[in-house]
Amino acid sequence: MFKINVQSEPFDAGKEIAQLTEGRTDIGAITSFIGLVRDFNERPEVKALTLEHYPGMTEHQLKKISQEAQSRWPLLGIRIIHRVGRLEPSDLIVLVIVASAHRQAAFDACNFIMDYLKTQAPFWKKEHTSSGDYWVSSRVSDTEAANRWRV
Amino acid sequence: MTQLTHIDSNGQAHMVDVSLKQITTRVARASATVTMNQNTLDLILKGKHAKGDVLATARIAGIQAAKRTAELIPLCHPLMLSKVSVDLYEDTSLPGIRIESLCKLTGQTGVEMEALTAASVAALTLYDMCKAVDKTMIISDIRVNEKQGGKSGDWLYTDKQTSTTHETKDFEKNNIKVSDEINQDIKPIYVRFFAELRDHLKEDELTIQIEELMEKNFPLTIEGLSQYLKEKYSEMNTVLNRSGLMVAINHQVSEKKSPFSAGDEIAFFPPVTGG
Repeated sequence: MFKINVQSEPFDAGKEIAQLTEGRTDIGAITSFIGLVRDFNERPEVKALTLEHYPGMTEHQLKKISQEAQSRWPLLGIRIIHRVGRLEPSDLIVLVIVASAHRQAAFDACNFIMDYLKTQAPFWKKEHTSSGDYWVSSRVSDTEAANRWRV
Repeated sequence: MTQLTHIDSNGQAHMVDVSLKQITTRVARASATVTMNQNTLDLILKGKHAKGDVLATARIAGIQAAKRTAELIPLCHPLMLSKVSVDLYEDTSLPGIRIESLCKLTGQTGVEMEALTAASVAALTLYDMCKAVDKTMIISDIRVNEKQGGKSGDWLYTDKQTSTTHETKDFEKNNIKVSDEINQDIKPIYVRFFAELRDHLKEDELTIQIEELMEKNFPLTIEGLSQYLKEKYSEMNTVLNRSGLMVAINHQVSEKKSPFSAGDEIAFFPPVTGG
């Protein structure tokens, strides 16, 4: 039902979607989200970033988030890949694919998973810029986005 | 000789007033065995039994039973258990099933009666599920294996006593209070720090002996651990007072009041910034 990977290797979203839908005739909608490294964040000229995670707990949290999404919407599949290690601007960081019979569940669940991933999965970004390295701070807007889903 | 706490000065049974006892994290482990025919055991393990999944049913029965201990044992206090687990293992030397239960709470009374009840009822359920094919099953060795927390300190069952006339004496001799002689057997806790916290401390993991906290009367909760760390290492003040600080016990998001026990991994980290 769901597959979760935390890895340093790049991913291919097309391949992942093909794998998720292979041999299935019940899926009517697929939504996906891909997050990329920007060259401008809290400071300009971001040259690279290093993503750290908490092995074991990160996977556990992503699984819990997926289970929560599955309990809220009628989903047919979830695929999450999050990269860790050193990444450069334009590199892909995260992929979330959600499959369902109808589009609304897939849209909402994908949005929900990203909001929760951003506030509950233990990942931390350190950005390397021309003016030095710093740990990225969490955003209030991310917390507010996650709070929208409270029941 | 210790007085029986459930008997008052007139020799009458009564429930002990625990309101002045300290609130600590308490853990108890108990076990029981069910010896049976090899054929019965095979039937259970293959999941082919007519009544369905015997092990899963026994496990749930044990968990349910732990929650009802106060209704079964007259002088037992009703408790808010924070954790109950029942595990069943194949034991080919019996042959049969070994049941291990664990009960945990933060409170003022021990949880060994709950752990014993869980193990006993899991054993009874095994018997009930299998009695149609094997009436000769024997339930035995129901006992407490370990206690942590509380006034009388930590305690481990050691399998040395012999059933002689000196049973009581041997029992006391062999079942040493952990605090006296086998301190090294209590596992420490592992405290981890991530991202900017680790950079600040220049340390990613500390091993902390639980006895150190207990000696100084810090409660075995996240809050108690924080106070202990801040008192011991001045640089912890910045780290542990950080706004939005998050904490996890064994990979589970936890709170200030969350209790932990020996062997746990506790992680402190700043708000997350993935995605």
